[in-house]
Amino acid sequence: MTNSKSRNTRLGDVSRRAFLGTSVASAALLATPFIKPSWASERKITVRDPGGPFTAGFVQAYYEPFRAETGIEVIGIQGEHEPTGMIKAMIEAGNYTWDGALLSKSSHQSLVNLGYLEPIAPQGGPGPNLSEVPEDLRGEFILGNDVYATLIAYRTDVLGDNGPNSWADFWDIDKVPGARAMRKHPFDTMEQALLADGVAPADLYPLDFDRAFASLDKIKDSIDIWWTGGAQTSQLLNAGEVDLLPTWNGRAQVAVDEGAPVKLVWDGALYTYEGWTILKGTPNADLMREFIEFAAQGKQQALFTPHVAYGPTNPSAFEYIDPERAKVLPTNPAYLPKMVAVDTDFWGAHKDEAAERFEAWLLS
Amino acid sequence: MNIATQDGSRAPSRLSRLVTRHGRIAPALLFLAVFFVLPVSMLFGLSFLDSDGTLTLEHYQRLWDKPVYMKVLGITLKTAAWTTALCILGGYPIAYLLATVAKTTRARLTILVLMPFWTSFLVRTFAWIVLLGRKGAVNTFLLDIGVIEQPIKMIFNFTGVMIGMSHALMPLAVLTMLSVMEGIDANLSKAGSTMGARGGQTFWRVYFPLSVPGIAAGGMLVFITSLGFFITPALLGGARDSMIVQTIIFQIKEILNWGFAGAIGVLLMVAVLIIFFVYDKLLGLSTLSGGEAKRATSLSKNPIGYVGAQVGGMFTRGMGTLFEWIGLAIERIFPRRADKRHADSGRIAIWAVGLLMMAFLALPALFIIPVSFTESGFLGWPPQGFSLKWYQALADTPVWANAALRSFTVAILASSLGMLLGVPAAFMLARSSFSGKGAVFAFLVSPIIIPNIFIAVGLFFLYAKIGLVGTTIGLILGHTVLAIPYVVITVLAVVKGYDQNLDMAAFTLGANRKQTLLRVTLPMIRSGMIAAFMFAFIISFDELTIALFVTGGEVTTLPKQMWDDALLRVSPALAAVATLLLLFMSAFILVSEIIKRRAAKRS
Repeated sequence: MTNSKSRNTRLGDVSRRAFLGTSVASAALLATPFIKPSWASERKITVRDPGGPFTAGFVQAYYEPFRAETGIEVIGIQGEHEPTGMIKAMIEAGNYTWDGALLSKSSHQSLVNLGYLEPIAPQGGPGPNLSEVPEDLRGEFILGNDVYATLIAYRTDVLGDNGPNSWADFWDIDKVPGARAMRKHPFDTMEQALLADGVAPADLYPLDFDRAFASLDKIKDSIDIWWTGGAQTSQLLNAGEVDLLPTWNGRAQVAVDEGAPVKLVWDGALYTYEGWTILKGTPNADLMREFIEFAAQGKQQALFTPHVAYGPTNPSAFEYIDPERAKVLPTNPAYLPKMVAVDTDFWGAHKDEAAERFEAWLLS
Repeated sequence: MNIATQDGSRAPSRLSRLVTRHGRIAPALLFLAVFFVLPVSMLFGLSFLDSDGTLTLEHYQRLWDKPVYMKVLGITLKTAAWTTALCILGGYPIAYLLATVAKTTRARLTILVLMPFWTSFLVRTFAWIVLLGRKGAVNTFLLDIGVIEQPIKMIFNFTGVMIGMSHALMPLAVLTMLSVMEGIDANLSKAGSTMGARGGQTFWRVYFPLSVPGIAAGGMLVFITSLGFFITPALLGGARDSMIVQTIIFQIKEILNWGFAGAIGVLLMVAVLIIFFVYDKLLGLSTLSGGEAKRATSLSKNPIGYVGAQVGGMFTRGMGTLFEWIGLAIERIFPRRADKRHADSGRIAIWAVGLLMMAFLALPALFIIPVSFTESGFLGWPPQGFSLKWYQALADTPVWANAALRSFTVAILASSLGMLLGVPAAFMLARSSFSGKGAVFAFLVSPIIIPNIFIAVGLFFLYAKIGLVGTTIGLILGHTVLAIPYVVITVLAVVKGYDQNLDMAAFTLGANRKQTLLRVTLPMIRSGMIAAFMFAFIISFDELTIALFVTGGEVTTLPKQMWDDALLRVSPALAAVATLLLLFMSAFILVSEIIKRRAAKRS
């Protein structure tokens, strides 16, 4: 924890910001008439959320009840898929369009490395709700909100009872024939390749990239589609364009809910989480902390699960969730022990290298 | 080498000419200096700094050391070049057909050509997946009638990228070529025939060379626009279809290494500028003022242009001769009774090819309409049952109507501003000669060469200083930056094809400058102006990156709302949005055509 503090103050940021400042200073003079008034005095916070069904779920679970309880208004705004670049820009420009954001643990790690997030707990330490969330589902700068799993989903109408049960099965073209898709991204794909190659979950990190690429070589020519977005995978599954692919459980669930003959494989699934974070330096940091303490309650978290099939982080949430729905949520106690946690610290340091090598591998 | 100087001599004095000149181009230059150069130079500047802010070339060193970036750049350029070739080859027959039919028919056919514009790229790309996939409509049909035994792999490879990209960009090529072709005097072809040239000869040696400025401008628009494409290649391509913009976006958004992103951006820009230079020398986009190959008569002054002109001349002569032989061969086999009949068969061929290409353009749109009435939660073929629930969903959520209204407003204002700034600049580029003209042209066009993400990030910092973050006006100004290049290129192409003797005639008959412009010049280049406005409009209307960045998501536009909705799946609600847009825009074009015709009749 102290370590990350020391990373917060880096000389580089100062000079870079100074550079940014001078390059736009002259333009500032040209357009001064359009100054936007500041709203900071109101008791209102703006948070980035993933949009779509998430927003609908969060309004019901957090935004509305939080306002009813505290009078603080929460505006949920959908940003882009990976909003880290935008947050970096906001902080370096000192312009807080958002006060907080729901970020993937990996995105949060990138910002922590720059020192761009506020601690989520007040000075006196985490509140009672926050403390209920297991420590591996929160951090100094993030409260896990929803756990999502990357797993194999397959068409039962094609594969029947011979569906894959592990990453090794996914790699085994003879045992499990069928049209395959994989994600065109090293995230999760590296882990899948190693697990398929026989690496034990406990020995997974640090990832052995050489071995992972050697494993990927075996399956490269059998991949029909390299997907790039979650909505694409639900479409591919629903239409039967592919018979099996790794995707996020929530995306596969959409196809299942629509009646497509699709099954999810929880064994060996990789999981990580998305959580609430506070932008460094926002004037509303304390209101955000209040919000986060509120959002840590299991009772509230349970309310978003009908909208998106991701798992609440406060175990008590399951007391309020319909047992049928609980079957599709990754934090279901029946699934969690069978899954493998993604090490976002590792990825924080190796993302760039992995992406470069992955691209080169695809083109080779 | 330059014709433009001759007519400019009408202007009274050198000094006043200088003033009018700068008056015409200065606003566009100044606007881009503030809202484009300033923001973008920040990121390019970072490419020379390391993470501690000290001067370094490490980012460029990395580009040099790791071959993957050059490879991706090569793929990007290859993809853009093929897209351009396909758009010109496929679009030329359409443009030729449109230019040579009656005006009412032209208006109706133009609606088909424009269809790809009104179906948002997200919906359009998913439509291709549903149409051309393994279990798609086309493969199912072919399997059912027994033409094939195995599904054909049409997408998730380079073919898929080409289908998606040429479909998206062909309207750009068609409209640019059409606006130049409309200015070609049909009597020239007739004169050619009178002098004994056959159909093929007349076309290749008279009409085709006159249409070259349209090909040059259309090709260039398609080429640089396709460099910025990454969603279509990502969704329809295979493992090896990576675009450099995707790499830049990844560095900016996920790795947060803006210096390296800037360096890749510089690499892309340098590559495009080299191509641009050769292209300009070859086709003389920035200097050529007439239609035909009048330039580059000297090998020493402009070797590339000289070679280009020679090759071009050989090509048109060769094609003319080839078609003459084909004509003769056909005559041998099918002896014809009258000359008229021969002309008809050529006409039928043009109609056939033109309609086929138009069917390709209209197909996904026509497919989306029935899909929007499905009961299923996914886009799929055939649609299941019949339901209005997706329209109901749109009606129930006021966000959609608001987003559509905002997108229309932003697009109309941005394209109007783009026209105000871009049209005078284009006129000046076409008609005056000054040193560094090629560079000025390259500068005006560069906003579409530089990936949008640079403009987006740069503008955010600029706007943060001047309080424009999260405002609609900031969005409009950002989109105007993108609108200017489209306006400049399109208007430049028509102004070049425009016969300035008409202006001279007007002057001689006593018209002043303003009267000439309003009553002679502008009406003659009307369709080019409309095309320019339409390009600018659609660029803004479909734009997402800048919209997301400069507004922090606070201003909801239609593309943003669509992305928002498409988080977990692309639902038929998006098909419903596309259908409504399609009907609205098509009705708008038809009605305005009817009103115009009525007005013409009355006068």
